[in-house]
Amino acid sequence: MATIEIHGLSKRFGDVTAVDDLSFTAREGAVTGFLGPNGAGKSTTLRMLLGLVSPTGGSATIDGNRYADLHEPFRCIGAMLETDAFHPGRRACDHLRILAAAVGLPATRVDAVLEEVDLADVGRRRVKGFSLGMRQRLGLASALLGDPKVLILDEPANGLDPEGVRWLRQFVRSFADRGGTVLISSHVLAEVAQTVDDVVIIAGGRLVVQSSLVDLANRSRPGVRVRTPQVKALHDALNNRGIRAQLVADDALVALDSTPEQLGLIAAGIGAVIYEMTAEHFNLEEMYLELTAAKGALR
Amino acid sequence: MRNLINAEFLKLRTTRAFWAYVMSIVVFVPISIALSITVGNDQNPLTTSGGIRGVFSAASSGLLMAVLIGITMSAGEFRNNTATPTFLVTPDRRRVMTAKVLAGAILGLVLAAVSAVVTVAVATPWLHARNVDVNLLSADVITPIAGALLSLALGVIFGIGIGGLIPNQTIAITVLVVWSSIIEALLTGFVPEVGRWLPTGAASALGGTWTIEGGLLPFWPAALVLAGYSAAAAAVGTHLIARKDMT
Repeated sequence: MATIEIHGLSKRFGDVTAVDDLSFTAREGAVTGFLGPNGAGKSTTLRMLLGLVSPTGGSATIDGNRYADLHEPFRCIGAMLETDAFHPGRRACDHLRILAAAVGLPATRVDAVLEEVDLADVGRRRVKGFSLGMRQRLGLASALLGDPKVLILDEPANGLDPEGVRWLRQFVRSFADRGGTVLISSHVLAEVAQTVDDVVIIAGGRLVVQSSLVDLANRSRPGVRVRTPQVKALHDALNNRGIRAQLVADDALVALDSTPEQLGLIAAGIGAVIYEMTAEHFNLEEMYLELTAAKGALR
Repeated sequence: MRNLINAEFLKLRTTRAFWAYVMSIVVFVPISIALSITVGNDQNPLTTSGGIRGVFSAASSGLLMAVLIGITMSAGEFRNNTATPTFLVTPDRRRVMTAKVLAGAILGLVLAAVSAVVTVAVATPWLHARNVDVNLLSADVITPIAGALLSLALGVIFGIGIGGLIPNQTIAITVLVVWSSIIEALLTGFVPEVGRWLPTGAASALGGTWTIEGGLLPFWPAALVLAGYSAAAAAVGTHLIARKDMT
């Protein structure tokens, strides 16, 4: 059993709110895609889950336990967060030996994980000669040292060639098929669409949607697209009334699960000028693409 | 804790920079002896107790390097992002820092012991050739060697603490070098009553160098002062690292 639960999680860095009251779950035996534009708060969320960043509020747990409270966390969760978390002058096998030594794992685990990620031939080479793809694999090998039940991968496909992406996809799939829990972040939906079972989409530190991939593609939700020069004021007014709205351009927003009547009244209430208003049904996958394309409008 | 200390030693042994530091410490020793014997010190000729102590103070000539190794042990983890995997396998950062301090203390003792062996091996025949015979069990030999053991062990711990206070390794090393070789040297030169209470002043007193004639602290008070600086740096550095957001 290994379920990841994020509940009301928030993080402020000074004046900047990176993660804002975020809640979602990732179930075992499934690959959960954690999606959002760059700067949406994905890495900060994963780092809070792993005890590297302390939350301002809320909780992030694995089967109800905080990472730092787990008895032997490396046996429960393996994480790959950065592609450059290695001393360049150190041999790949030494990097793994150090991590294994710190927690008393036998040296045979080092050979086993190098084998598992296809790095056995180059394990004795120094990391500075490694390609980005090899570094990704070495990061994955570090994550697998403790033979964990949960894998957390932050943008693992970044910089991988098509062959590497295919390899990673198969690896992640078989890990989940053996009953493991996988949470994998990406800013490109297409990159993970072939691998994931569920998706969690965030933007501006807040949850946009959590659903199965199948539902995401099929489900459409009623909403209203509004074009107005006072887009920020309207966005705030909608949020205050509990209507989920997303900025999609400098002068446009989309309000989900609402009607033109509601929007018209609220806009009139704050004296906003409306250039254009259309009731639509939004396919969530299209919405995600629209959101990522309009990331300039998101903070 | 034993596993964590082993991991710290493995981290050091598997980088070339560490061995370069160790080599430079070993090379410093004979250079330091050569300077004491050939250039010497008019006030402390080799026939005096002070002269002999000055020669054997070579055992602690690797002090600055020992502090630099300490800085790489803590700040180096941030420079190479290895702090992330380190804290992933051991989320209790205070335990990681404690392991670093313990490994650092052992390392300092080993470095000092090696330096002491080189010092005795080089200095004894050289002094003999100058018709100065030293009794290796005399206080003039034992004191600087004991001082080297203490100051190098405390020096590595001090460096680990500084690296925790200033996790940017380049800045940490710059601050250390500017502080010890410029600011502290000036203070020691012009205001010895302040300088002898500073880290380098205390370390000099332990090592047996006589930079301030009569101005340095006695051995044990100097050891306490240096231990105080190292403990304070390690405690504050550990506290800051434990609270740091690893973004």
